[in-house]
Amino acid sequence: MISPLLHDDPHTVGPFRILARLGGGGMGTVYLARSAGGRTVAVKTLHTRLAADTTLRTRFRLETDAARVIGSDHGAVVVDADPQAPTPWLATEYVLGPPLDAAVEAGGPLPEPAVRALGAALAAGLEQLHRSEVVHRDLKPSNILVTAQGPRIIDFGIARAFGDEHLTNVGSAVGTPAFMSPEQAAGLEHAAAGDVFALAGVLVFAATGVGPFGGGAPTDLLYRVRFGEPEIGGVPESLRPLLVRCLAKDPAHRPSTTELRTALGGAGAAPGDRGGFAELLPDAVLREIARRSDEVWREPPHRLPPPVPTETPRTGTAPAPGVSRRQLLTVAGGALLAGGLLGGGGWALFGGSGDDGGGGAKKDAVDRPKPPNQLWSTTIRCPDSGGEVTRVGRNLVMRAGIVLCGINAESGKDTWQANIAETWRSATDGSRVYALRGFQEKGAALAVCEVSPIDGQLGKPLVELSAFTGKEQYNQLLCVVDGIAYLVAKAASGKRWYLVAADLGKGKERWRSPVDGPQTEGFPPALCGAVVGSRVVLCGSPSQGSKFIGLSAHDKDHGRQLWEMSETFAGTTPPSRLVTDDRNLYLGAESLTARRLSDGGLEWLFGKGRDVGDNAGEERRYGEPILHDGVLYCTEADQGLIAVDALSGTLNWQEKGLSGRKNNRNVAPAIGKRYAYCADDKGLRAIDLRARKAVWTYETVPLVLSADAKGGHLYVRQEKRTIALPLA
Amino acid sequence: MTTPLALPGKNAHFGRPVPSVVPDAAPRPAPVPAVYRLTSVSSLTGEKQVERLRQDDPARIGEFLTLARLDADGSRGVPERRYLARSADGGHTVLAFLPSPGSDPARWAAEAQQAARLTQPGFWPVGQLGGTPAFPWYSSPYRPVLPLPAVLAAYGGPLPEPLVRALGGTLAEALASAHVLGIVHGGLCPAGVLLTACGPLLGCFGATRANPVTGAASPPQATGLETGCLAPELAAGGPADRAADVYALGAVLAYAATGHTVPEQQEIPAGLRDIITACRSRDPQGRPEPARVLAELLPGAAYGALTGSTEPMSLPGRIVEALSRQSAEVLAAALPTQGH
Repeated sequence: MISPLLHDDPHTVGPFRILARLGGGGMGTVYLARSAGGRTVAVKTLHTRLAADTTLRTRFRLETDAARVIGSDHGAVVVDADPQAPTPWLATEYVLGPPLDAAVEAGGPLPEPAVRALGAALAAGLEQLHRSEVVHRDLKPSNILVTAQGPRIIDFGIARAFGDEHLTNVGSAVGTPAFMSPEQAAGLEHAAAGDVFALAGVLVFAATGVGPFGGGAPTDLLYRVRFGEPEIGGVPESLRPLLVRCLAKDPAHRPSTTELRTALGGAGAAPGDRGGFAELLPDAVLREIARRSDEVWREPPHRLPPPVPTETPRTGTAPAPGVSRRQLLTVAGGALLAGGLLGGGGWALFGGSGDDGGGGAKKDAVDRPKPPNQLWSTTIRCPDSGGEVTRVGRNLVMRAGIVLCGINAESGKDTWQANIAETWRSATDGSRVYALRGFQEKGAALAVCEVSPIDGQLGKPLVELSAFTGKEQYNQLLCVVDGIAYLVAKAASGKRWYLVAADLGKGKERWRSPVDGPQTEGFPPALCGAVVGSRVVLCGSPSQGSKFIGLSAHDKDHGRQLWEMSETFAGTTPPSRLVTDDRNLYLGAESLTARRLSDGGLEWLFGKGRDVGDNAGEERRYGEPILHDGVLYCTEADQGLIAVDALSGTLNWQEKGLSGRKNNRNVAPAIGKRYAYCADDKGLRAIDLRARKAVWTYETVPLVLSADAKGGHLYVRQEKRTIALPLA
Repeated sequence: MTTPLALPGKNAHFGRPVPSVVPDAAPRPAPVPAVYRLTSVSSLTGEKQVERLRQDDPARIGEFLTLARLDADGSRGVPERRYLARSADGGHTVLAFLPSPGSDPARWAAEAQQAARLTQPGFWPVGQLGGTPAFPWYSSPYRPVLPLPAVLAAYGGPLPEPLVRALGGTLAEALASAHVLGIVHGGLCPAGVLLTACGPLLGCFGATRANPVTGAASPPQATGLETGCLAPELAAGGPADRAADVYALGAVLAYAATGHTVPEQQEIPAGLRDIITACRSRDPQGRPEPARVLAELLPGAAYGALTGSTEPMSLPGRIVEALSRQSAEVLAAALPTQGH
C-alpha cells in the first residue's frame, strides 16, 4: 500500500515526479508517481545494479511488452516505459483494487458467481495474451488485482514469447510452486496450456482460500504439483469437472482459454453491465477497493528524512595513529560545513560538550574522537576459525588455542578451561556450554555433555546416541536450541553421516537425516549450522581445493530436507558462521547475496555493476557480513563499509572518504550504537554511523571482532592476545 | 445512466480555449519485435464516457484549470456549480465550487467564508477561498465523491432501506452536532449530499441563504434549489433554522428511499414512513430533533461514531464501482503538457 519514500528514493523517474512507495523487492521498487499533467501512475523500476544483467533487462522489456499486449480491460494500461534507461522503468495506470490473495484474506473465499466471473475475465485476459503469442507463466493470486470492474492481470515478471528459450534455464523453476504447472515444475516448456493450469489453481484458491496442492515446503509442493491429485473438495460442485480438466497433468487434455471462458460464463461478463462484477464481491473486498480509490487522493506521506548527524566529527590537533592526512582533511571539511550550516548556536552546542571547553578561543579548537583505552587485555591464542567470543550468562566463552576457555567478562581472567581441541565439538545456547564426549574416551556411543561452568569438566552425558559412533573425531555439535542438540555424526555401523537432532531433556534422538560426510582431510563435514525459525540451516564444507559450499535446510521438527544447493565462496576462507534472519541467509563473496531460507532461491544480489575500484587482486569483493536491526553491514573491496537493507538488498548508505586502507574481508564488522567497527590493514577502524565516516583507528591486527551489547564490550581478538574495548 | 464525472472537450470562456484532456506521456514507441501485436492504449478510449463542459463553464478557476463537471448535464436541484480542476503544474487536483448563476455572489461568498471557518464533522470541508466579489469560488482537495442523485443513478434506482438508514443516520448526526453549536446548515438537498467512500458529507452550506427564495423575481427553480427540500415556512419568507434543516433531511431521506423529495406515502418503505413523515411535517414544532432521527434510523448507534469516519463504509457493489471508476478516471486524466 502507499508508504513514505525513503530519503534516498529518487525524486523523479523519467518524466514522473515520485510521490510515495507502493512496494519494493529484490528486483526493484514500485512508486506512486505523477506526470506534469497531473496523471497519477504506478512506476515500476528495475534496480540500477540489476540493470547490468542483460537477462533481467530483457525480462523487464518483455514485461513491458506483455503489459502492452494485455491491454486496459484485463491488465494495467501502460502509460510510458523506458526499458533502455540506466534504471529501466515502466509506468502503468494505478489499479484500484487489492491483490486476489489479500481479497480472499479480507473477505473469505468468493461465492460461486464471483469465482465464475473472475475466471471468465481471467480466461479472456489470457486469451488476449495467447493470441499475441505471449505466455504469462506466473499467474497466481498475488499477480491478480481485484477491481470493481473485474480482475486485472499484472506482473509479467517472467512472461515471455513462445520459444524464447534463452530466458529459461531448465530446472531453474522460476514462478511460484503452488500455482505452477506440472511441466513448469519439471523444468519443461510451459506453454499456453500451462497458464490454463495456473488459472484453475487460482480459481480453486478463490473458491476455497487454498491452492489445489496446498502449501508447505517448495520441494513437497513441486512434487505434489507434478504427481499429486489436486484437492478441490471445497470447490462448488458445478465447477469441479471443469477445474479437474484444467488441472490435468497432460497439457493436451486441458481446455483452451476460449472454451474455459465460455464454460464459466461469468455473470459479470455481460457487456454494458458496469457494476455487475462488483455486485458479486464480498463487502470486505468492496470496502478495500473503496479504500484504495479514496486513499490515493490523500496527501502522500512525507519522505523519511535521512539520519541527521547529531555529533559533528571533531578535528584533533594531531592525527590518530594510522589516519592519513587526506582523511583528516576530509573530516575537517565536514566539520566546517556542518558548523556553517548550523550557525553559531549549533556550533556552541557541540563545542560546549567538550571536556576542555569554556574559553572562547578554545571553542574552535575542537578535538576529534580518540580511540578508547582498552578495558582489559589477556594472552589467549585465537584459532584459525571459530574464534567468536560468546556470552554465556555473566561470563564469556572463547576458544584459546586447543582449549575452550571461560573468561570473566569484567577482568578478562580465565575461570576455567575445557580440554576440547576441536572447535567443532562444542556449542552454547547462551546460558550453558555443551560439548561432545571426547572421541578417545571409553564410551562407544556418541554423547552430548554439559561443560561445568566451575571447572570446565564434562558432566554426565545428557544424551547417548548408540546408533552413532563416539570414536569419530569429526563428529560435530552444531548448536543447541531449546534443549535440542543438533549434530552431524557418523553412524555406528557403515560409513554414513547424518544430521541428528537429540533431545537433551529426554535423552533421546528425535530424528536424523542423511548428509555428506567430511569433504577435506582435517575438516569436519559442516562449516557451520544453525536453527533459524522452523529450519536447521547447514553449510557444508568445501571439498579439497573447491570453491563450492553446500547449503541446505531441514525441517527443525522432523529433519526432512527442504532444499539443498551449491554456492561459491570467494577468497581463501569459507564462511565460519551463518548470517541469517528469519527470511534469508546472507553471504559476502564476489557479490553480496541473500538466499531465501524457504527454498534456497536467490532473493537478491548486491554488487553487480558497482564500481568498487581496484580490487587489488582479491577475488573476494565483499567481506563477511553482519546483520544488525535489519541492516546488513560489510566491507566493499577497499572502499569502506556499506549498509544494505536486508529485506530489499538496496544500499542504505556507504562509508565516505575512506582511502588508503585494505579491508580484512574475512573479519565481519561489529556494530555498536554509535559506531561500526571494521578491520583493516591499519587496525580497528571506528565508523560514525551518523556521519558515515571513520573517526578513529585503533592500532591492532584484528582476527575476530565480537560485539557484546549486553556487557557493553567490543572484543578484539588478535593472534595471541584478546582485548576488550568499550562498545559505543 | 448518469456518468459520475463529465470530462471537458473543446469549449471557450472569456475568449480562452479550453484545453481538452489528452493522455500525457503518450506511449513511447519501444523497439518491439514484430511478433507482438500491440493494442493502442489511452486512458480515454474504450468504454469510458466523455461528457464535455458546457458553454458557460469557466476554463480556469483561480490557478486551477477546469477538467470536468461534477454534476451531469441537465442536473436539476444543484444550488452551486461544481468542477473538477487541477493546478497548472499538475500537482493538485481539487473540487472547485462556484455560485449558481441565479444566486447572489456576495451572499454566496459570505456563506463560503462561514463554512471555511467551521470544522463541523460531516460537513464538506472548504479549503481555499478565492476570486472576486463578482466571481467568487472555493476549492477543496479532490476525493472521489458522488452527489446523491449520482448514487441513485449508479445503483439503478432508490436505495435499499439499510443503506438509507446508514446514510440518513450519518447526516442526522452531522446536523445534530451542528445544531448543538447553534449552526444551521441551510442548504441540505440531494445534490448537496456528497457520498465519499467513508460516508456522506454535507455540501451546499447556506444555499437557502445565498439563494433568496422569496418574491416572484427569483423562484426557487431559477436558483437551482430543490423545492421539495424547502420547508413551508422558509418558502413563505421565514429564516433558515434548525427545524428547516430537519425538514430538508426528511426530503433527502425520501429521495434516497424513493427517488423523489416529495413522494406519495405508500412509496416510502414502511419502516421509514413514520420518521420521514415526521421530518416533513408542515408544522416546525412537529418535527423531531436530528438526534431523534438518528436514534430512529440507527437504533443503538453510538452518537458521534458515524461522521468523520476515515474507514470505508459498506456500500453496494455498483456504488463502489462508480466511486472507484471516477477515481480511476481522474487519476488517468491529464492536463495537456507542453510539447504535446
